[in-house]
Amino acid sequence: MRSPFRLPALRRRKRSRVVLTGLALLLLLPALLPRAEAQQRLLRISAIPDQKPETLNRLYPLLANELSRSLGVPVRYVAVTDYTAAVSAFRRGDLDLVWFGALTGVQARLQKPGAKVIAQRDIDASFQSLFIANTASGIKPLRNQKGLTALMGKRFTFGSESSTSGRLMPQYYLGQAGVKLRHFAGGAPGFSGSHDATIALVQSGAYQAGVVNEEVWQSSLSSGRTDPKKVAVIWRTPGYPNYHWLAQPNLDQRFGRGFTTRLQSTFMNLNASNPRQAQILDLFGAKRFIPASQRQYDPIEKVGREIGKIR
Amino acid sequence: MTTTAWSWRPAAPLLPLLPALALLPLLLVLPGLIHGGGWELVAQFAAAAITPSLDPLLLRTALAGLGITVGIALLGWALSLALGLVGGVLSSRIVWRTWLGVAWPASAIRRFLAVPRSIHELLWGLLLLQLLGLKPAVAVLAIAIPYAALVARVVSDLLDALPTAPLQALRSGGAPAGAALLTALGPALLPGAFSYGGYRLECALRSATLLGVFGLGGLGTELRLSLQSLQFHELWTGLWLLLAVMLSLEALLRALRHRWGMPSRFKLTTAGVGRSGRELLLALLGLLPVLVLVAMALEISPAQLLAWQPLPPLQANWPAVLALPWAALVATTLGLTLLAACLAVGVAPLLLLLVAPWPWGRLLLRAVWAMGRLWPPPLTALLLLFVLKPGVITAALALAFHNLGVLGRLLLEACEDTADQPGSGGAEVALSCSGCGPRLALLYGRFSGLARSYLAYGAYRADVILRETVVVGLVGAAGLGSLLLEALSSFAVDELIALIAVYALLTLLGEDLSDRVRQRLLSG
Repeated sequence: MRSPFRLPALRRRKRSRVVLTGLALLLLLPALLPRAEAQQRLLRISAIPDQKPETLNRLYPLLANELSRSLGVPVRYVAVTDYTAAVSAFRRGDLDLVWFGALTGVQARLQKPGAKVIAQRDIDASFQSLFIANTASGIKPLRNQKGLTALMGKRFTFGSESSTSGRLMPQYYLGQAGVKLRHFAGGAPGFSGSHDATIALVQSGAYQAGVVNEEVWQSSLSSGRTDPKKVAVIWRTPGYPNYHWLAQPNLDQRFGRGFTTRLQSTFMNLNASNPRQAQILDLFGAKRFIPASQRQYDPIEKVGREIGKIR
Repeated sequence: MTTTAWSWRPAAPLLPLLPALALLPLLLVLPGLIHGGGWELVAQFAAAAITPSLDPLLLRTALAGLGITVGIALLGWALSLALGLVGGVLSSRIVWRTWLGVAWPASAIRRFLAVPRSIHELLWGLLLLQLLGLKPAVAVLAIAIPYAALVARVVSDLLDALPTAPLQALRSGGAPAGAALLTALGPALLPGAFSYGGYRLECALRSATLLGVFGLGGLGTELRLSLQSLQFHELWTGLWLLLAVMLSLEALLRALRHRWGMPSRFKLTTAGVGRSGRELLLALLGLLPVLVLVAMALEISPAQLLAWQPLPPLQANWPAVLALPWAALVATTLGLTLLAACLAVGVAPLLLLLVAPWPWGRLLLRAVWAMGRLWPPPLTALLLLFVLKPGVITAALALAFHNLGVLGRLLLEACEDTADQPGSGGAEVALSCSGCGPRLALLYGRFSGLARSYLAYGAYRADVILRETVVVGLVGAAGLGSLLLEALSSFAVDELIALIAVYALLTLLGEDLSDRVRQRLLSG
């Protein structure tokens, strides 16, 4: 038998010294690395992942460039993988400016008092969701909200758990029509994770019906990814306020007085006559950005509390 | 190997097959669950396997993701081994008895370590995410904490099971406690501890992938996003890369185990002495700079762990939390565990028997099991939803497939390992020489020797499955797991605390139960 414990004592001591040095290096080296002090001057922007990552990865670097040019600070886009993580990262101050949905925005604001609502798109003041169904499912377009009862017993999917247009408001309207979550096939709805995924799953027939945000539906339809023979809109919800930019309360301290105001006007000044900015607005599906106020989202907070997504 | 015959028990080789009886009711209810909406998607998914996307940009992203996943696994594993060894020594009865003459601190520490162990790495990850923010360090710690507690338990079990005669001899010869313990127990502990450590690395790779699926970084994140947007070609690019890494890691560890003469996973309890200790130690030393480099590449530093942030404000509404349907939730979770465990434990030997006559059968099984290990259960669950209704059974199938991959491989490995040892392997050869069919020869010649240790490991696996039920909450109606995801997205801290407590309690009870079963099996 050969084992390290039977070697002469001297060599063992030497070896243990090597081990100790190695361990010390392991603990010390990373601590000696240059710390990221530059973070103070870096504006980190992000967005809830409500669409395909490709779409987000095309859009946000463009926006980061534009913001950097107009504000004169380095701007970096940080991709986040789910809605909840975006809210948590904002609370911790790991993200400075985030494109939130109405619900996640309210959640983030409640967890980070003083956070500022910066802007919304022209389409966000009155946003709508669309209930869609697979054409083979036999679900016909509904005449009114009461018609939502036709979805009972069907395989139904929402988008993300924290999506305003893909879950919160649709669940609220379903509830008004008397449809509870346990009424769907299997005793629970699915949560596809994003609007694109909802469309794909309903089109494939994996779910018979679902609900998506109108903007994503339109862009999916016009790009030809959605086959109108296989999936159709069955009901359009009333309008409600949705997406907005939310900024950390301490941006003025970090980037200089008036920074938040400059940020706000940068968004207001995005103009379709500038080809670069037109591309950004186009990818955002908007003609322009407009001012937004915290008070607009009070009804969302109320619905959120009713449904239990806000405590 | 001798088997004691208990009058109420079937023959030993049949024991591992008993759990497969769960297949019968399953086959009855399965047709009712199939909705067949997404067969087209499944076909697309399968077809994409041979045509993964080779887009250079995507490949680069996938490789980067894979690097992060492997890095997280490696660091989490190394940290857990270091902490686990210390914890294991501290919770060993024999160490305390030799040192201070009393054994109670060992039991106390052991009990305390049961708590971090009972919480799944995903829960640790989500908890630490709230405290530390989105950093690779979170995933590393999330793996290290529960794994360290697991390693500590196994190490202390191994230590306490070692023969005490050498220790007593040294002590009565006047050797001081520390030196005597190290000399008498150290070398004897090595093979078991390192063999187990090797398996932990394989597990760490799977855990790191899983944590990625829930957004904690690495390849798992890419896999989930591609699956959710049905980009199957992109999905397969990542899966193939991960498979290559997983299989080479397993092959490497297996080769090392053989080289260093270490026991296979089922036989950890039998003590043996390893070979090439010096080489082993050098290999470990060589690992240290690698770990440092990985930590630097992932930008992980101990300093990050100091920047704590309080949890979201606790607005507790305990009556509402208490009013949740706990009994139903717990029942669902237990049912899910039992079904998944029975399927995983029972189906592995059944499949091995089925394919015994065909030479390519084992190869096929190996491939299927590798897929099972490869796919994180939540991804399997999402895939199953294309054709099955959401619910407990769908969730159980996803968990069973993953654990079947783990169990099946270990069983096959054990079957092949025993071949070159006198006794167990010979029985199969003898049986087939005397005219037995390959299935019967395998059943009586091989399984009879492995039955007890396999089932004992199966009991331990059931324990793991109970912890894992939390990750299949994605498929809905799956007990505590789906409630947990909902509570997370509502930032309902009170519900989260209650859920974690219930999970911890359940797994502690489950662990106790599976311990008893295992001890009975191994002593019988």
